[in-house]
Amino acid sequence: MLSEKEIERYDRQIMIFGKEGQEKLKNSKVAVVGVGGLGSPVAYYLAAAGIGTILLIDEQEPELSNLNRQILHWEEDLEKNPKPLSAKWKLERFNSDIKIETFVGRLTAENVDDVLDGVDVIVDCLDNFETRFLLDDYAHRKRIPLVHGAVEGTFGQVTTIVPGKTKSLREIFPNVKERKGKFPVIGPIAGVVGSIQAMEVIKLLTGLGEPLLNRLLLVDLAYNTFDVVELR
Amino acid sequence: MKVTVRYFARYRSLVGKSEEELEVPDGITVRELIEILKERHPVLKNEVFAEEDDLADVNVSRNGRYVRFDEVLRDGDIVAIFPPVSGG
Repeated sequence: MLSEKEIERYDRQIMIFGKEGQEKLKNSKVAVVGVGGLGSPVAYYLAAAGIGTILLIDEQEPELSNLNRQILHWEEDLEKNPKPLSAKWKLERFNSDIKIETFVGRLTAENVDDVLDGVDVIVDCLDNFETRFLLDDYAHRKRIPLVHGAVEGTFGQVTTIVPGKTKSLREIFPNVKERKGKFPVIGPIAGVVGSIQAMEVIKLLTGLGEPLLNRLLLVDLAYNTFDVVELR
Repeated sequence: MKVTVRYFARYRSLVGKSEEELEVPDGITVRELIEILKERHPVLKNEVFAEEDDLADVNVSRNGRYVRFDEVLRDGDIVAIFPPVSGG
């Protein structure tokens, strides 16, 4: 049941998907894997939307050069507070009705089942495909949706994986070559791609609209282009 | 036959334009088109398809649908090439 405070807090979006939709968000647990450029807006908007439990996963502490885009981390967190804890501190003060869980560490084949146990949707906010494929495999084993996002420069991509309905990440990106080290990126593209990922989660949980199933959205903010490629 | 090639993300910056129309031999495959693009834009060859196993890191769509490299192209096709990005 929603409290009176919650009904007021979420009034503007209850106008979109009803109290039933809001209850679904409240009763859901979403994992945000990677609490960086994408994970910051994703976690922020999911907290704003009233997702009942958000699990934040990352092993790093924020560095100064992260702050052009990783907006949940502040100067006082630098090289001190691991990203999940830094983000938890703000999100709990932002929305005291929701629960923020954290895992400070790297996801591995050995721990993924324990860490992601009970999660309804996984949001991929990672910076490498090795761990993305670990999420892809887990999502398919447990048959839960995975919202993929990635950015570089002014460009980004989003697609939503639903096991049994869509291609897997491995099928979509079979030839990925990892580029090690620093990559260029500007804050607003992480904000746009992360916001779209957060909306995908809300759509999956409430049944609103049409998620990007078997469709890959390509965004380039340098040229304001939004293109959808059919993956089927 | 003619095909339109669209460039996304860093390919667009490297080539310096968003798209171009090319006259190519009838019935070529996506793989053959990419060979033509490498000749036409050496910058792609050097920075994007540099590895020995040539097609390592490029995704291709034909008329808005994701395709494999052995797909045969037709006159008037719009082919988009884009790199998978991995940053977060």
